[in-house]
Amino acid sequence: MTADPRALTELLEESQDLQADALRPTHEALDELVETAHAQREDDAAANQAFHETHTRALTSSLAGTALLGAAGGAILVGALASAAAASSSSDVQILQTAASIENLAVSTYKTALTLPYIGGSSANPVVTKFSQVTMGQHAQHADAFNAAVKSLGGKAQTKPDPAFVPVVKKAVAGLGSATPAQGALGVVALALELENIAAETYVKDTALATKATNKALLASIMGIEAQHVSVLLAVQALLMAGAPQLISLSPGTAAMLPAAAGSVGFPNAFYKTNSAAPAGQGAVK
Amino acid sequence: MSKNKTKKYEGSEHELHVQTLELDELHHDVGMPAMAEALGHMRSTSRRTFLMGAGAAVAGGAALAVGSGAVPTLAAASTRRLSSVKASAFPPSGLTGDLAVAAVAASLENLAVFAYTAGLTAATQGKLGTVPPAVATFATTVKGQHQQHAAAWNAVLQSHGKAPVTVTNPTLTPTVQADFAKVTDIAGLAQLAVTLETIAAQTYQVETSKLKSSAAIQLSSSIQPVEMQHIAILYYVLGMYPGAQTSSGTPLAFNPTSQAV
Repeated sequence: MTADPRALTELLEESQDLQADALRPTHEALDELVETAHAQREDDAAANQAFHETHTRALTSSLAGTALLGAAGGAILVGALASAAAASSSSDVQILQTAASIENLAVSTYKTALTLPYIGGSSANPVVTKFSQVTMGQHAQHADAFNAAVKSLGGKAQTKPDPAFVPVVKKAVAGLGSATPAQGALGVVALALELENIAAETYVKDTALATKATNKALLASIMGIEAQHVSVLLAVQALLMAGAPQLISLSPGTAAMLPAAAGSVGFPNAFYKTNSAAPAGQGAVK
Repeated sequence: MSKNKTKKYEGSEHELHVQTLELDELHHDVGMPAMAEALGHMRSTSRRTFLMGAGAAVAGGAALAVGSGAVPTLAAASTRRLSSVKASAFPPSGLTGDLAVAAVAASLENLAVFAYTAGLTAATQGKLGTVPPAVATFATTVKGQHQQHAAAWNAVLQSHGKAPVTVTNPTLTPTVQADFAKVTDIAGLAQLAVTLETIAAQTYQVETSKLKSSAAIQLSSSIQPVEMQHIAILYYVLGMYPGAQTSSGTPLAFNPTSQAV
């Protein structure tokens, strides 16, 4: 017999439609944002410029905190970012545009990965394929939500990927061409892992930087989802590296065969770090 | 799914074990100092008093008043802790605003610690059938992380001259006790854990946009994703899609808040 969750469910007045509930804060946030949009447009330009400069300056340390994405070299990217960011936008708009740019990059990365036979083809692990498809769709929804919030504040939607990371992702993807399926799968997982972690860390950090409660709520509703992506990818990576791809499975009984270490590999820190977070103005629209 | 390919894992336990040890070392060498450093930095902010002392408490491994493996059942342990605490009297008087949130957060973390402690005890006593090694590792590791979360929130309270919260959440404890009493196997324990982790994650998510102190927001935001990660692995253990989902199993792109307390 298993635990009966009904009492807890009643106690907590659980929603009959969790998806609608999940989106409700976002809708409420957007409604409130529309109401406050006029005030937002009156933001002090100097303050916005200062915000942009401060949070672009943090780029070098952000990149240094990553492996694949940090290898590109901060100096070149800082220059690229300086021209890409918009100092005229409010701090919240810049945060939201940067978030959208990260989501756009994630969507394109998963889209490319799914064209590879060992990720989206017949030779791929079905769980990995399903995860990649679902996750790509979720990132598209995140980008839409961030851009809706941007537009509600009078800003311009960010439809491009984060400019700092694009060259590095392209290079990593190009390197997959000569890889064996096993090497390629590990390469894709490593790249996705970094992107997901950057997204999660960026949103964790930005919940404190955002000025509007509604924007905080939007970021908070997404950061945990990205962290779950990280967790799954960490587990998949560990099983691939251990030569146990057959255990990447949701079949009944799989848990009983997992090695002990698999039970903790998905959450390495008790407190989510932010040292790999993207600067808040990094992906702002010019 | 790889249903037909699944076989007993044999050869690389050592490799995974080494990876976990490295992660654990990373956690203690990098993650913990980073948290301590961050909390130390918060002391110098305009709201610097909010989390004063939290870093030291976390870095020092301040433990909750939980018996070291001596708790036979959640019910017994909780009854001791809650004998004089009523839901209507919690959070304690004198705690308002962010400090009241800290008290509730600590009580939720305490509840999770007690639940995992009780689950591990029951498993050790053979009451839950065969316990997969990964599940035992999961419960032990997660319990430790919840202890750190509770210590961080209690450090906040203590830095303001308030008493630490050592009780489990009085509103939820009776129901969790009742549900735990029905658990007879690992799947049941995992389902109960999903519920507790979901309540914690969604509560932190809601509070992130309500807390006033930037330091409190950062602490809440740094914990919510970790609870979400616990949920993902629990779903994996249960053979379900490893992410936020509806009751029918449809994955969610945005985490809901209907179970927040």
